[in-house]
Amino acid sequence: MTTLEGAAGDTPAAPRRFDRARRPPLRRVADVLRSGETHAWRWGARIAVLLPVAGLLFAVTVLALKAYPAIKVNGSPFFTGSGFKIGSTYAVTVHTAGVAHPKGSFYGAWPLIAGTLQTSAIAVVVALPVSVGCAFALTERLPAIVSRPLGFAIELLAGVPSVVLGLWGVLTFGPWLAKTLYPLLANNLPDVPVLDFFKGTVGHGEGLLTGGLVLSLMIVPIITATTADLFRQVPTLPKEGGEALGMTDFEVAQRVTLRWVRSGIIGATALGLGRALGETMAVVLTVGAIFKVAPNVYSPMSTIAAAIATQLDSALTDGTGFAVASYAELALVLAVISVLVNLAARWVVRRTSHLGGPVGRAA
Amino acid sequence: MPADRPTDPVGKHAAGANAAAPQGVQGVQLDPVLDALDPDRDRPAHVIETRRLTLHFGSKPILSSIDMAFERGSVTALIGPTGSGKSTFLRTLNRMNDKVRGFRTDGDVVLEGRSIWAPGTDLLELRRRVGMLFQRPNPFPMSIRDNVVAGVRAHRIARGKQLDVVAEQRLREVGLWDAVKDRLGDSPFRLSGGQQQLLCLARALAVGPDVLLLDEPTSSLDPISTEYVEALLRQLAPALTLIVVTHNLAQARRVSRTTMFFYDGRLVEHGPTDALFEHPSDPQTERYVTGRIG
Repeated sequence: MTTLEGAAGDTPAAPRRFDRARRPPLRRVADVLRSGETHAWRWGARIAVLLPVAGLLFAVTVLALKAYPAIKVNGSPFFTGSGFKIGSTYAVTVHTAGVAHPKGSFYGAWPLIAGTLQTSAIAVVVALPVSVGCAFALTERLPAIVSRPLGFAIELLAGVPSVVLGLWGVLTFGPWLAKTLYPLLANNLPDVPVLDFFKGTVGHGEGLLTGGLVLSLMIVPIITATTADLFRQVPTLPKEGGEALGMTDFEVAQRVTLRWVRSGIIGATALGLGRALGETMAVVLTVGAIFKVAPNVYSPMSTIAAAIATQLDSALTDGTGFAVASYAELALVLAVISVLVNLAARWVVRRTSHLGGPVGRAA
Repeated sequence: MPADRPTDPVGKHAAGANAAAPQGVQGVQLDPVLDALDPDRDRPAHVIETRRLTLHFGSKPILSSIDMAFERGSVTALIGPTGSGKSTFLRTLNRMNDKVRGFRTDGDVVLEGRSIWAPGTDLLELRRRVGMLFQRPNPFPMSIRDNVVAGVRAHRIARGKQLDVVAEQRLREVGLWDAVKDRLGDSPFRLSGGQQQLLCLARALAVGPDVLLLDEPTSSLDPISTEYVEALLRQLAPALTLIVVTHNLAQARRVSRTTMFFYDGRLVEHGPTDALFEHPSDPQTERYVTGRIG
């Protein structure tokens, strides 16, 4: 110890250390607060980062635990079978693999899984071109005096509660479609096997296509807003390069602007698709409530989210809790589908981004 | 001129027909035999002419009453301080300014005897004939090969397997082939700045233009790439008419045969490059080329 102190004393050029004790008292309080602030900031950030992950893990874990008995009993017919039967809640409770459930209960979610994918697919197929066209018009074609209020209106559409859109869908939009567009589609499409799905009785406008179209209206604002932001990032120079080469406006849009942000648009679509897969209220109101795979696009059907929302009430009447467990399994399936869709989108983005323009970096 | 490159890159000319004329000398009587070999002998000697061309953005005049004729196969440098209107002039020649709000023109630009604004003029064809290279490289977000043939595809000049041939030929022309032949499917954004600019040049050459407008083509490049591009431009000259905007006076002297000096919206002086730099007739030109204004 002494040698060390002696060594320090021997070096005359040693820098004078910051002496906390010699600071005025008020400053010292401020110092403590400031160092505390740093700590608070750091820990706050750590917790904030972990919270969503923890929340997700917690939700999925609880869901999986709840669903476990149902997964054990339902097995693979859950994915291939068709029909949700609680069974006789007044009769004897039976046990399968140690799990109690009412006699005659059967859970097959295939129509719901198919319905979820169908409505979402229709929504994306309709919304994507509309959104890209919209975003293109907003950023490249229309003068600011038109595009600004229009962009604002589109973003407002994102804020319309889904129950309002659903109500409008079932009371106004659906019946109108059933009178105008649907007969046109059903009667005039050429005899191609794929299009048979668009033929059949039109009904009153409550069904798969109406649900899909209302959903598309809900995701158009999301995809449009994201895509418009992407288009604004495309530098002028490559677009001018295309023009100077004698490309038409459409060719520049298609081969330069759109390609520049292609992977971003795929990401935006995944965002919209995620919303469509999980959307509940608008779907409940517009698709009807039939737990069967729709024979054509006009037939009433249902989706996972809609089924959970509408059926949980009656599931609670099952004293064994097996119905609730089955709906938990259904919710788990929806969560897995959403995650898979997101992963697939990420994979596609990675596959396509290597030829895209350098967005965000100095171009 | 590097020996490993063809002397006639665009391939429209019998080798050296016009190049035989020494730099800076105009109106030389060519040997009639050589003249007969010149595929352009029936075409007007001036590819582009501007007639009392006056440009405005809104009420603001940009250029006033420019009369200029660009000789076929010549290299013309446009010099002048920033804001003198030379870039605007350049961008008028392929009508890139037309969609700028408030842009108005008086007078005329004549491409091979026909006004570029004449009714019935095909804007896309005009831009095929009058190509452009920009200040900074602007490759498209597609593979290197697709970049070269983007214009060829748009104008339906070639298709299918021919595109590969076009891509190779044009990349060889700009000396980029050996560097990229193994990664034609890769993104152009991984190339260096100089390579990207060469790619853009290959793309512009691929549609077979008569005139190439260059807007400070080397201002974002390092000295070695600049030197390379300059050598390439000198080579392109007899087959192509080049109009180069540049801030680099030394570059104007090295590359061009004719120089135009713009100052404050006016074409102050134009003439053979050597004469303009050695014996400028206008005091403003003298002050600019000697570096006293800029």
